[in-house]
Amino acid sequence: MISLLRKIRGVGRVAEPAPPPPAPLPPPVAQRARALGGSAQVRCVDAGSCNGCEIEIGQAFSPVYDAERYGARVVASPRHADVLLVTGPVTVNMAGPLRSTYEAMAQPRLVVAVGDCAIDCGVFAGGYGVHGPVADVVPVDLQVPGCPPRPEAIVEALRRVTGR
Amino acid sequence: MNLIAVALGVAAALAGAAVLAAVVLPARLRVVAVGVLSALLGTAGLLAGGAALAGGSFAAHLPLVLPLAGVYVSVDALSGLFMAVAGAVVLAASVYGVGYARHAGGGRGAQALWPLFAFSLLLVPAAASVSTLLAAWELMAASSLLLVVSGHRGGGDSVRSAGVWYAVMTHLGLVAILTGLVWLAAAAHSETFAGIRAGAPGLSPVARGGVFVLVLIGFGSKAGMVPLHAWLPRAHPEAPTPVSALMSAAMVNLGVYGLVRVGLDLLGGGARWWWLTVLILGALTAVYGILQAAVASDLKRLLAYSTVENLGLILLGVGAAGVFHASGHDELAALALAAALLHTVTHAAFKTLLFLGAGAVLHATGVRDLDELGGLRARMPVTSGLFALGALGAAALPGGAGFPSEWLLLQSLIHGLAVPGITVVVVLPVAVGAVALSAGLAVATFVKAVGTGFLAKPRSPAAEQAHEAPVSMLAGMSLTALACAGLALLPGAAGPALRRVVTGLLPGSGAAVTEGVAGRLSALGSTLSPLWVVAGTLVLALVLRGLLRMAARTPSRSAPLWDCGAPPLTARMQYTATSFAEPLQRVFDDVLAPESDLDVTPHAESAYLVERVAYSRAVPDRIEHRLYNPVIHTVRRAGLAARALANGSVHRYLGYGFTAVVLLLVVLAAAQ
Repeated sequence: MISLLRKIRGVGRVAEPAPPPPAPLPPPVAQRARALGGSAQVRCVDAGSCNGCEIEIGQAFSPVYDAERYGARVVASPRHADVLLVTGPVTVNMAGPLRSTYEAMAQPRLVVAVGDCAIDCGVFAGGYGVHGPVADVVPVDLQVPGCPPRPEAIVEALRRVTGR
Repeated sequence: MNLIAVALGVAAALAGAAVLAAVVLPARLRVVAVGVLSALLGTAGLLAGGAALAGGSFAAHLPLVLPLAGVYVSVDALSGLFMAVAGAVVLAASVYGVGYARHAGGGRGAQALWPLFAFSLLLVPAAASVSTLLAAWELMAASSLLLVVSGHRGGGDSVRSAGVWYAVMTHLGLVAILTGLVWLAAAAHSETFAGIRAGAPGLSPVARGGVFVLVLIGFGSKAGMVPLHAWLPRAHPEAPTPVSALMSAAMVNLGVYGLVRVGLDLLGGGARWWWLTVLILGALTAVYGILQAAVASDLKRLLAYSTVENLGLILLGVGAAGVFHASGHDELAALALAAALLHTVTHAAFKTLLFLGAGAVLHATGVRDLDELGGLRARMPVTSGLFALGALGAAALPGGAGFPSEWLLLQSLIHGLAVPGITVVVVLPVAVGAVALSAGLAVATFVKAVGTGFLAKPRSPAAEQAHEAPVSMLAGMSLTALACAGLALLPGAAGPALRRVVTGLLPGSGAAVTEGVAGRLSALGSTLSPLWVVAGTLVLALVLRGLLRMAARTPSRSAPLWDCGAPPLTARMQYTATSFAEPLQRVFDDVLAPESDLDVTPHAESAYLVERVAYSRAVPDRIEHRLYNPVIHTVRRAGLAARALANGSVHRYLGYGFTAVVLLLVVLAAAQ
């Protein structure tokens, strides 16, 4: 316990200073995002990703980028979530679970497609096990391009949702 | 005319008529006739007991009924209480039995024994002499034993072993009671209770203590007191359901009756160590019983162990009353005794309901194992609701039948800390802890029974094809449910009757006792009225629901059950009774000593490939293992060794007889 406290004092604050606030969301999405009141509970679904995007999402919630200071938080069930963070091209096997995850969320809900694969299947387009981009399965409200996207970009998208 | 005399006479006539009907009538009519006549018999018992509780009394001597001694009958408020409880249980179980007999217990023998057993339950509390009590007691033991054995034809080893255990233990108990009461009668120079009551103060402390210990062993074994409880969780589950209900809710109570009658009434209290023994054994019984119930997965075995627990609580209350009485605090003694007697009544109500509910499940599915039930709420909604009501009572939560009596018991124990004495100061707080622990474990036990037995999805084809119980069974259960609800919501109504019983037993205290008990019960009525607690909770829940509805910004929407995106959810993913109890079993590992066995069979080609995994778990009764098995083994060895004595030679047997006669003559000559 004491050593933990000593560590906290020794390391100090590692989070980078907050960048300037991002551009606001387009009106119909913004209206739903406002209903969240600045707090977004995030459920991540890997719909067939190569795990590159997962590593960057992990970094976005790490102490350095610290997405939690803007009101976003990762939760363990779609029942608790407002925002669905989807990565990867949707594979045939994951299309059903992704749809039912979206159905299980309470309204208002938002879907963020993270990475090029989630937006247009990227290098996996046309693969035999690929069903299609995320937008073919659930309605996408926000896109984060990149292969993989930088953590700053993910944090920025989440900041646009929470409005902070 | 005396109402009690009339009611008892009518009950005797009805019992005779029911036995006759069972023997004479054809199968279909027999069940209905015995059911109706036995229900009337129960009503007569209820009336007789009610009249005694309302202040009536009755005494009679019938010299011609039993040879030599005659029958002495006397009914006072204490007898009335136990008579009324037995009558009410008989009434509900008889109505229920009409429907159940088609499943089991409809045979001629079982139907003829049922009214006899029911009548013996009324006769035991009415007995007013040692020989009458013993005759009624033996009638009760024998008829219930035959009912246990006869109920399920071809029931197999478990029924036979239950019958043997019950027969042996009930007769060892009878021997203890017989020895104790005969000793008492000889020392007091009278066989009637009135004579013993007059002669008892003059007895030596050794005789009084010896008599008490003997009757404690005898009556305690009937009440399922640890370590004499071993027969109870075997015999109660194997009996046909109405018989289980009658045994668990009415017969075991008579053990308490006997202890109170002999200890407090005939012997007039006694030394403190008597009652401390009762209190400690009661506390052990309560905790051990509910622990075994918490890990049991057989529904009826669970209920039988819950009976052990509740009888433990009652004995704890009786023991506390005796300790307070021996210390001269009669007001506290009255409170503890009232709590114990009230718990006797409430336990009878909810345990009857639970056993009848378990019987309805058995009737509908043929399964007693909670691990194979589930999903019954949708298939038998009325039974499930009634069982849940009984479970609420057994869990001793506010709104349930068991709450007022356990609350009163705790209160009497906490107030008892004012009594001086090192042992009391040490024992009473531990007893409070034991009551609290058993109440907490009871909640877990009955959450398990209702949750895994009735909710969620069925875990076996038998449970899937369950159907609602027939009308007569539902009627029997509903009668008991009414009694449960009445006792849960208006426990104060039992106040005057309990006061009459308690003042009859502890007359030295007079007005103080009356005010004490009435005060506590009315305080329970005004400050913590269960009726208002239940009404308030319901209103609060409705108001909160309405407010939440109004405050919601988006309309509610129904969504499918979340299955982690990988349907379907199967019944195999649910909690079973065993898995629900697993953490408890782990916590109480040292006490329960469960036996589990994991058997992994590898593939023939490779030791790393597993072909089959078998896991089995059993929680044996540890006391039975440690205490009974050595005795049984010794007796068996002695029996085998004694075989050499009987080698089939007639000459040798004649020699034995001759030697015995000669020895007898020598002893007689020496004694002259």
